[in-house]
Amino acid sequence: MRARLSLVVDWVSETGPNDPVFDSLLLTGPLVVALVVVLGRSPITTAVAAAYVGFFAAYVPYKALQ
Amino acid sequence: MKEATKTIARDVGRILQALAGLMFASALVSLAWGEYYAVPAMVAAGLLPFALGRTLANAFREAADPGKLHGMIIAALGWFSVAVFGSLPFLFIAWTAELALAPAVLGAPARTGTLAAFTSPLNALFESMSGFTGTGLTMVDDEAVLPRTLQWWRTFSEWVGGVGVIVLTTAILARPGSGSLTLYESEARSDRIHPSIVSTVQTIWWIFILFTFVAILLLWLAGMPIWDAINHAMTGLSTGGFSVTDESIATYDSAVIDFTLVPVMLAGSIAFPVHYLILRGDLRNLYRDLQTRWVFIYMSAGSLLLWALVYTSGTYDSPFEAFRYGLFQFVSAATCTGFQTAVDATNVALGRWPAQAQLTVTFAMVIGAAAGSTVGGIKLIRALTLMRGIQHRISDVFYPKTAVRRLKINGRRLSEEEAAREIEEAAIIAVLWFVFLVVGVFVLLAALPAGEYSLENVFFEVASAQGNVGLSAGITGPETLPTAGKVMFLFNMWIGRLEIIPVLVTLRSLFRRGGVYR
Repeated sequence: MRARLSLVVDWVSETGPNDPVFDSLLLTGPLVVALVVVLGRSPITTAVAAAYVGFFAAYVPYKALQ
Repeated sequence: MKEATKTIARDVGRILQALAGLMFASALVSLAWGEYYAVPAMVAAGLLPFALGRTLANAFREAADPGKLHGMIIAALGWFSVAVFGSLPFLFIAWTAELALAPAVLGAPARTGTLAAFTSPLNALFESMSGFTGTGLTMVDDEAVLPRTLQWWRTFSEWVGGVGVIVLTTAILARPGSGSLTLYESEARSDRIHPSIVSTVQTIWWIFILFTFVAILLLWLAGMPIWDAINHAMTGLSTGGFSVTDESIATYDSAVIDFTLVPVMLAGSIAFPVHYLILRGDLRNLYRDLQTRWVFIYMSAGSLLLWALVYTSGTYDSPFEAFRYGLFQFVSAATCTGFQTAVDATNVALGRWPAQAQLTVTFAMVIGAAAGSTVGGIKLIRALTLMRGIQHRISDVFYPKTAVRRLKINGRRLSEEEAAREIEEAAIIAVLWFVFLVVGVFVLLAALPAGEYSLENVFFEVASAQGNVGLSAGITGPETLPTAGKVMFLFNMWIGRLEIIPVLVTLRSLFRRGGVYR
């Protein structure tokens, strides 16, 4: 199981645009979706989902300005 | 057996193995939703392509790498095989319900008229071809009553088909070398992100998966239930357009959801190499890349025109309503997604829009968006190449014969020979596109009951099938579309996804070998 997880992490870090923030978003994406599926619509899940989307939306222009 | 046949058989076998993997993985959805009766059907559906694929791939393991001709045949036969075997889940689950095949311990599937339509192999094949080619025309009367397993399988087929089954196969069963490049190009792609094709397809999947998560959460935040958000994010981003509800996006009747889906569809219509550069921090590609710049120009201009047409014709009462439906339907058509908000239940159905508005949407479906993305249609780059080519040829008359002129496309200055080649390629595909569009219209006019549908309805539906769009004027359905129409649409969807040439090359090869002519 650990080896398989390590394979996924390796794949994510090697194939993307070499950015740890985007890599983290890709790795945490399934967890956030799973959280929403399990807990349903609540202020906490809404805040987590909004933070995920907001972070992605803000990081793209931020990276361009760097 | 000839070496070429071995190469083709080996690579089609690999594609079938990848398809089997998707089916086995989808059995997990049946388990998660407690649809245990669907598990044997999904496993059985996966075992057939797996057995055939493994046999072919092992038997011809040492076959040579494919050349350009073989690559085209592999792409055409691979996609057709995927559609054929991808229809098995529909067929098996429908027959499980029809014959009450599942033992009591696995539970009983609901017997509905919607599911019963898939006891017909032609309907199941239509749905599968529509899914994998990202078309979205459907044989389902009411998506909401389908088992979750089939809702997922429809969505999953579009999601995978959007990027490409060969891209998937290359990414999973990575095989470095010229063979992968040939196959990659035969699936209507050319631009590379990295020098290596295997790295390129893996990066494409990386981007696609990340965008899928963002789209799911965006739609959920906009108010969709999470299951609907997962499915619509996957089919919206892959510009496929299958829905899990009967009235597509109109079910929600929410302007927020409509406007949220627009950027999701647009993301699917921009080429992956451009997405990669944007994620690397180079936002200038949004306007510097010719196709991406024109995606925005074309979508804005088309939406405004459609808004004006539906508003001035009195289809909608308020300018905002006209803008909401005009924008959504133009983007949905031009990105070849096919989500529908204009249906009778909530407002005026597309099939009852004024003829000029329907033709504007038809035009959007024919052109499509950027090559190298998930869209269908002729593609913007071809339309732009043709326009520049025509402009270049006409202005030639005004220059002396000795003048050396270069055609400039997307920052590239083409020599006379290069320009002629690119214009010729774009012209051939555009002409073939219109030829098969007209053939489809003739077949449908002959097959449909006289006087039932207008000519613009028929043009609209055929353009939708061939452009892999999925918007419907109401013709497509298990009962409404005659068998000849279904067969024609199967062909339209198949050639539309592969940009015609590979299918024609394959048919020519098959007929020559079979001695049908010569």
